[in-house]
Amino acid sequence: MNASVTVQPARWPGGARARRLASSPALRLSGRRLLSAIPVLWGVTFLTFLTLNALPGDAASALLGINATPAEIRAFSIKLHLNEPLWVRYGHWLGGVVHGNLGSSLASPQTVASVLEQRLPVTLELVAYALVITFVVSIPLAVLCAHRPRGLTDRLCMVLSMCGISIAPYVLGLLLVLFFAVDIPIFPAIGYQSIGAGIAGNLKDLTLPAIVVALPLAAFYTRFLRADLLEQMQSEDYIVTARAKGLGPWRVLTQHALRNSFIGLLTVIGLNLATLIGSTVIVEQIFSLPGIGYELLQAISNRDVPVVEGIVLVFGAVVVLANLATDLLYGVLDPRIRHVRSRS
Amino acid sequence: MSVPAADILTTPVPAGPESEAAGRASRGWLRSAEITIPGAVLAALLFFCFIWPLVYPVPKPIGGSLLTTNLPLWSPGHILGTDTVGDDVMSRILYGGRVSFEVAAAVQVIGLVIGGLFGMLAAYRGGWLEAVLMRILDVFIAFPSLVLVLAISDSLGPSETHVIWALSAFSIPAFGRVARAATLRLRDQPFVVAARLSGSRAWRIQLLHLVPNMLPQLLTFSLLGAGITIILEGALDFLGYGIPPPGPSWGNMIAAGQSFMSVYPRFVLVPSIFLLVSVLCLNLLGDGLRARWGVR
Amino acid sequence: MRPHAYPRRNVRLSALRVSSVIIATVVAVILAGCGASKSPASPATSGPKHGGSLTVLEGSGYAGNWPGLDPATDTDGAANQSYMDAIFGELFQLEAGGKTVGDLATGYSFANGGKTVNITLRHGVKFSDGTPFNAAAVVYNWKRDLAATCTCKPVFLSPPTITMTGPYSVSLTLSYVDAPFINALQGNVFNWIASPTAIKKLGAKAFALKPVGAGPFTVVSDTPDSELVLAKNPAYWQNGLPYLHNLTFKSVAGDQQALTAMEAGSGQAYEGMSTPQLVSAFKAKFQTTAEPSTSPYDIQLNTKIAPFNNKLAREAIYYATDAALLDKGLFQDTYPPGESFTAPAGLFYQHTVTGYIGYDLAKAKALVKQLGGLSFSLGTINVPTAISLNEAVQTEWQAAGMKVNLSDFDLTGLIGAFTQGKWQAMLQTAGAYDPGTGVGVAFRFASTSPFSGVHDPKLDGLLNAAAATINSATRKTDYAAVAAYIAQNAYGPFLFPIASYNIAVKGVGGPGLTTPIPVTDVNPEVLWQYVYNSG
Repeated sequence: MNASVTVQPARWPGGARARRLASSPALRLSGRRLLSAIPVLWGVTFLTFLTLNALPGDAASALLGINATPAEIRAFSIKLHLNEPLWVRYGHWLGGVVHGNLGSSLASPQTVASVLEQRLPVTLELVAYALVITFVVSIPLAVLCAHRPRGLTDRLCMVLSMCGISIAPYVLGLLLVLFFAVDIPIFPAIGYQSIGAGIAGNLKDLTLPAIVVALPLAAFYTRFLRADLLEQMQSEDYIVTARAKGLGPWRVLTQHALRNSFIGLLTVIGLNLATLIGSTVIVEQIFSLPGIGYELLQAISNRDVPVVEGIVLVFGAVVVLANLATDLLYGVLDPRIRHVRSRS
Repeated sequence: MSVPAADILTTPVPAGPESEAAGRASRGWLRSAEITIPGAVLAALLFFCFIWPLVYPVPKPIGGSLLTTNLPLWSPGHILGTDTVGDDVMSRILYGGRVSFEVAAAVQVIGLVIGGLFGMLAAYRGGWLEAVLMRILDVFIAFPSLVLVLAISDSLGPSETHVIWALSAFSIPAFGRVARAATLRLRDQPFVVAARLSGSRAWRIQLLHLVPNMLPQLLTFSLLGAGITIILEGALDFLGYGIPPPGPSWGNMIAAGQSFMSVYPRFVLVPSIFLLVSVLCLNLLGDGLRARWGVR
Repeated sequence: MRPHAYPRRNVRLSALRVSSVIIATVVAVILAGCGASKSPASPATSGPKHGGSLTVLEGSGYAGNWPGLDPATDTDGAANQSYMDAIFGELFQLEAGGKTVGDLATGYSFANGGKTVNITLRHGVKFSDGTPFNAAAVVYNWKRDLAATCTCKPVFLSPPTITMTGPYSVSLTLSYVDAPFINALQGNVFNWIASPTAIKKLGAKAFALKPVGAGPFTVVSDTPDSELVLAKNPAYWQNGLPYLHNLTFKSVAGDQQALTAMEAGSGQAYEGMSTPQLVSAFKAKFQTTAEPSTSPYDIQLNTKIAPFNNKLAREAIYYATDAALLDKGLFQDTYPPGESFTAPAGLFYQHTVTGYIGYDLAKAKALVKQLGGLSFSLGTINVPTAISLNEAVQTEWQAAGMKVNLSDFDLTGLIGAFTQGKWQAMLQTAGAYDPGTGVGVAFRFASTSPFSGVHDPKLDGLLNAAAATINSATRKTDYAAVAAYIAQNAYGPFLFPIASYNIAVKGVGGPGLTTPIPVTDVNPEVLWQYVYNSG
């Protein structure tokens, strides 16, 4: 047997490896977070249900169209169980969800799951594309600015990023379409091609929308990252040490300061995810993308409660998961946190 | 909504080296310029929107004559032209500006009072109260506020008051988080600890010590939040849920104008420029004040 | 050594920051100014060409949204007629000049004093799944449509008897005469016959996503409210047709978006363009065909509640409405105002109506004074043209001393407003190709319709009489009597029928698309089997 003996104070099912996993702070953190996420998700869906049912007009009149008589609306409502009290309907839906059934759309012959399946990937791809553009633009830009603060690049950068935050996304979208789709026909004005039909076409269709989503984000992240980098360059001890050791300023920036700035950036992204998905609503409408944001808008207008609930549930889950992921990544990037119990 | 919403702004952005410049005399006037110029432009906008129509006979924003539709810019009597139903565009910009600024101000005040109060109380007390309040705030943050906003606008009917309440759904949690973070930071400061130890009542401590120290941060945050609110109000109009026409607002002017942007781009561009300038000034002012006061 | 340029750089910061505004402005102006400068496409070769693809854009909120493609549950009904016609073909279709012609049917006749309609069907037609199209299929479909809980099914005053009188003939018998029946088929679910075998095999829900019919095209893929991809039906009964191999329908948010999409090449056709300010922009680059509407705009007045239960108030509205000025200011005099629910492109058109009250501002003011003021709200659907029209109308009425609040609704809200019954005035459209059908006159003026502001049994009687005879000449005089009665009681002024436009790039052509066909509902039908793209 090996000279170094590991003491196992008690028997653990699964053996030493399982014990190590179970006591891993990362897993414990995730477990705790997931547990606390459940009441949040419940609160979100319940709030949505309450809100939608406070709306005048109901799915029956929306779906039957303008020719419906009040009698027909009543009959259809009964068929859709809309005449039952709020609690019963919510209980129905919740029970279904626990069993993995999100119900059927009231407005179309599809199930909520198939609507989500069809539309969610479009929005997720748009958001991912936008985030990629954001990072590709803001990280190098921030590093450039931080390298020579108050230089010409820095000033220009600050001016442009200030404009980027201040412009309304819907105006930007309209102008981009006019300029890049019509005058210079590089990108299509509308429409969406799935990845299966060709990745090049798919990316082309999503470029303008992704730029619209990414621009304010990139502007903000550039400023944020630049400020963070500068603060580190000025005050952190390890930077002084690195410099004293003779490391050039670029290396110091990219290999040391940047890595630490990532922590702050990640938290900020996690917080922003919910609003990011919400921002796709306008973009999807302008560019006619068959995504979740546009679907949410139409479902609210149709009072299609199951679809809205399904989308809200997915949004909530994405936000919770994203925050969990950033917390975990936080732990990976900063070893000081890994071994300390974090306050939630 | 694509603008980094209140959530991001709650995270303390490092003030950067500019804050150190605050002490340097040679940059004193520069610091002033960054605050005074946007401040002056903003003041001019507010003056023209709220006070000018009271002293000068600006044409009415609605009820224009059908014989003078679509007049171009710089027409006699209509400096920015008229729209498709004959209303004077300049006057619609001014009255629309009123709406934008009123909504922005009201939403910030509501957020500050309600959200700020709750955040401060929760963080000061700590314990289960804080945990519960934070969970509630988490719900609002995970909740696609779009649904709430659309639902409120849809069910209550479009009007300025309803838009204000709907947009407060964004500002209350945001201010709550900022106030909470600030309170947590201040709570353990020596002067607060001293006040507690000397037996001061909690509400006295909060009023006399915490609030004055939080105020700079909250104020700069509200300036930035005001810019976001103006854009959000425009987004609501764009989706059809905001201020109902013919009542002007910059957002619904853009929304209406985009129906024929290829032919009359000025109906989108003119309100967009005013929107951009206002938000830019609010952002510059907030940023400048933040640098000046060394707010973290 | 160079002097330290510190102060100057600091100035630059502020100047740059503040001039960011100017930069943004300039950029924006340049971007906008560069718009609409694409040169028109080269002229195409004339005549139909076999093969090719066409992408047709549809405005969302109307044809750009489809709840399902099963005729029995197609609640959007006539709004979807474009692609329903493409998938199912039609029993009867309307051609240029307003002629009703058989497509999958070959003819019809009235019998039994007009209470029975006999329809003969075409021989040798097959659904795209190979099963035969015959009377049994038609009967199955009609009975299924009537049994479904959909308000898209035709409304009969008493249940009809539907029978198969032969392998290719069907008859429908009512207890009364329904003269507009054949005209009413246009854009109605009865016109679209689905394959019974496919319905039974797929089940209703799957069928609604991928239906099977006997029309010129079959469904390849369906992303509801976004994109519908169709391909040529190899088993189509007309040899050599359709010309197109691929036909795709895509949803766009509105007219302006359709314009930019077509300019960018994302679509080659657009139906139902209704924004008058964009007409010149479309005309500059594309074939723009005016499809004259058959339903004029009108102001509905709710006679059940105040203030319009008072005839004087209604008369004041007539006196205060200057339709000619509205036409001039908003539409550059394109649409001559009318005085009834009929339009030049529809049946039984009459230009003037006896007893119609015309514009007279002085009399309007006097009446308002006599009433002690007139205050109410005016609503409409949230479409840009309707909203502009409402604003202009409000201005005219306020000149007469009235106080008018405006509101606009999406379709759900509009239905809600009508059914709740508290509305006072609504800007809507009234009339149809055949006034007795669909969103016709009864829809807006009969006491049995929830969307009517009028509850007058005498008017009901006149409307029923006009639909109860199959004699065209008699129907014309009957509708003239209806219009005169409405004018006499000042139930609501009429404005003008606005044309919508169908747009196509050069090289594309087809009936209904580049040639006008009267509109039966809102958009005219397009006979996709004859549409070609030779560009």
